Amino acid sequence: MPTRDRVAAVAAGPRGRAAAAAVELTGLHKNWGSVQAVRGVDVIIAPGEVVAVLGPNGAGKSTTIDMLLGLTAPDAGTVRLFGEAPGIAVREGRVGAMLQSGALLPDVTVRELVATFAALHRHPLPVAEALRRAGIADIAGQRTTKLSGGQAQRVRFALALVPDPELLVLDEPTVAMDVEVRRSFWSSMRELVADGRTVLFATHYLEEADDFADRVLVLAGGRVVADGTGAQIKAAVSGRTVSAVIPDVEGSRSSLSALPGVLRVEQVGPRVLLHCSDSDAALRALLAAEPRAHDIEVSAGDLEDAFLALTARTVADADAAHHLTADPASAPSTRSSR
Amino acid sequence: MTMTLTYAAMSARATFRNARFVLFTVALPLALYLLFNGLYGGRGDEAGITVGAYLMVSMAAYGGIGAAINAGARIAVERQTGWNRQLRLSALTPRGYMAAKSAVSLLVALPAILLVFLAGALVGHVRMPLHLWLGGGLAVWLSLIPFAVVGLVIGFVATVDSTQSLTVLVYMAMAVLGGLWIPVEQLSPFLQHLARAVPSYWTAQIARDVLAGVALPLRGIGVLLAWTVVLAALGAVAYRRSGRKA
Repeated sequence: MPTRDRVAAVAAGPRGRAAAAAVELTGLHKNWGSVQAVRGVDVIIAPGEVVAVLGPNGAGKSTTIDMLLGLTAPDAGTVRLFGEAPGIAVREGRVGAMLQSGALLPDVTVRELVATFAALHRHPLPVAEALRRAGIADIAGQRTTKLSGGQAQRVRFALALVPDPELLVLDEPTVAMDVEVRRSFWSSMRELVADGRTVLFATHYLEEADDFADRVLVLAGGRVVADGTGAQIKAAVSGRTVSAVIPDVEGSRSSLSALPGVLRVEQVGPRVLLHCSDSDAALRALLAAEPRAHDIEVSAGDLEDAFLALTARTVADADAAHHLTADPASAPSTRSSR
Repeated sequence: MTMTLTYAAMSARATFRNARFVLFTVALPLALYLLFNGLYGGRGDEAGITVGAYLMVSMAAYGGIGAAINAGARIAVERQTGWNRQLRLSALTPRGYMAAKSAVSLLVALPAILLVFLAGALVGHVRMPLHLWLGGGLAVWLSLIPFAVVGLVIGFVATVDSTQSLTVLVYMAMAVLGGLWIPVEQLSPFLQHLARAVPSYWTAQIARDVLAGVALPLRGIGVLLAWTVVLAALGAVAYRRSGRKA
C-alpha cells in the first residue's frame, strides 16, 4: 500500500522539517487498564493541512486526540505541536479544540460561556465574532442547558474558535447534527480554513472525511492503518462484496469463508454475500471452487466493510509476526471472521 | 491574575444564580444557631465570652465550612459536563484555577457567616464594639481557606454520585471533631487533644480569641496553614488528572 510508505517517508524526514510541523506524534502508546487504546501512532501534520482521522468506535481516535491536546499523558511516545509541548502551545492560544461531549457549564448563557472562555486567552477572537462564525449569534442569550444537540455542538465549535488558533482540533464535530446542520457546519469550516489554518478532525463518516479533508488517517485497533487522500483511502478500503447464487451452498459455507480475500460470508435469500478484502482473488477462487455459481455481482462495500478490511489486515499482520516468533511450524492465520 | 479574577467572577455569578444552593448553605447553620441559643443562650460565659457569642462563632464557622466545602464539591458536576477538559485548553493555569475556585468558595461562605452574626446581634443578645464584629467575622472567614481547598479536592476526586456522601462525611467529622456542635471542653481528653490538630477547631477558636481580646494562637494558624498546603498539593495532583474523562 503506497500510503504507508508516505508515513514512513515523512516520519523519517529531516529534523528541521519535523520541528516546523503543526503536529508531530511519535510512538504514542496508551493503555486504559488492560485495554490497549493506542498502540504506536506516528503522525506528522504540516501547517495548513486539513486532516481527517477516520475510524470506528474504540479505534483510539479520542485517546489520540486527548494525548495530542495534553489532556492525557501518553504511556510512551511524545507529542509536539508547532515544536512545543501541547500544554505550552495551548497556553499560547495556538490550539483550539472542540471536545466530543459536554464542555458546557450549567447555569450560564451561551454568551457568558464564550465570553468567559475568551477571557481565559491571551489574544482571543472578539466574542461577537466567535459567535457569528459558529452561527450561534441568535442563541447567545439562551442558557446552555436549554440547547438542542446540534446547537450545543455549535457552541463547542465557538469555544474552539475563541483562541483564534493556528491548529483546530475537532473530535467528532458533527455527531449530534442533522444533515442540514452538518452541511452548513462544513461550509462555515471551509470559510475558516481558507486562511491556512491546520485542521484535524475525527469522524465516523468516510464521506465527510473525503469531502472535507486533504488527507485521511484511518485508525483501527489503536494504530494508523492507512494514510492518504480520501480517494486513495476509498480505493484502498474498497472492501467490495461479491454476491452470487450458489446451488446447494449450505454445506460449503465454511469453505467459502476460507477462500482467499474473503472476510465474512453472509446468506441473504438465495444469494451468498462474500465480504472481501480482495474481491478479485475471491472471485477467481469462488469460480474455481463453485463452478455452478451464477448471477454474480461485485459491488463496492460500505464503510463497515472498509474498516473490517483494514482492521483484519492489521490483525493478520500482527498474527503473522506473532506466529513466526512463537511457532514457526504453524501457518499464519490470515483472516479474521469478525 | 486578570484571568483568575475573571474566572472567579464568572464562576461566583453562576454559583450565586443557583438560589437553592445558596439557601441551603445558610438555612442549617441559622436554624441550629436559633435552636442552640434558645437552649443554652441564658447560661453565663464560656471561654471569656457570652454563650450567645460562643454559639454564634461556632455556628458561623459551621455554616461557613459547609458552604465552602459544598461550593468546591460542585466542581464534580463541572467535571462531569466536561467543562474542566475545556478549561484545560485555555491559558488559565492550574494555580489560577485553584485560586479562583477557592475565592468562589470563600464568597459563597460569606452569607452564612453574615446571617449567623446578624442573628447573634438580634436574637443572641451579642453586644460588642464594631471592630470586634469585623475582626471576629474576618477571623472565621479567613480560617475557612483550608475548607475551600478541601472542597476542591473532593470536587476533583469524587464522582457526581459520591460527592454528596463524601462532603457530608467530611463536614460532619469536621463539625464534631472541631467541637462546633459540642464545645471541645466537654469532650474526652483524647478528643480534646485530637481537636487541636483539626482545622475546624481553629476556625472557631481563633475567632473566639479575637472576641475575647486574647493573643492569636500561633499553633492554630500553623495548623490551618499546614492543612492548606497539604490539601493544595493534593488538589494540584488531582487537577492534573481531571483532564481525563470524568
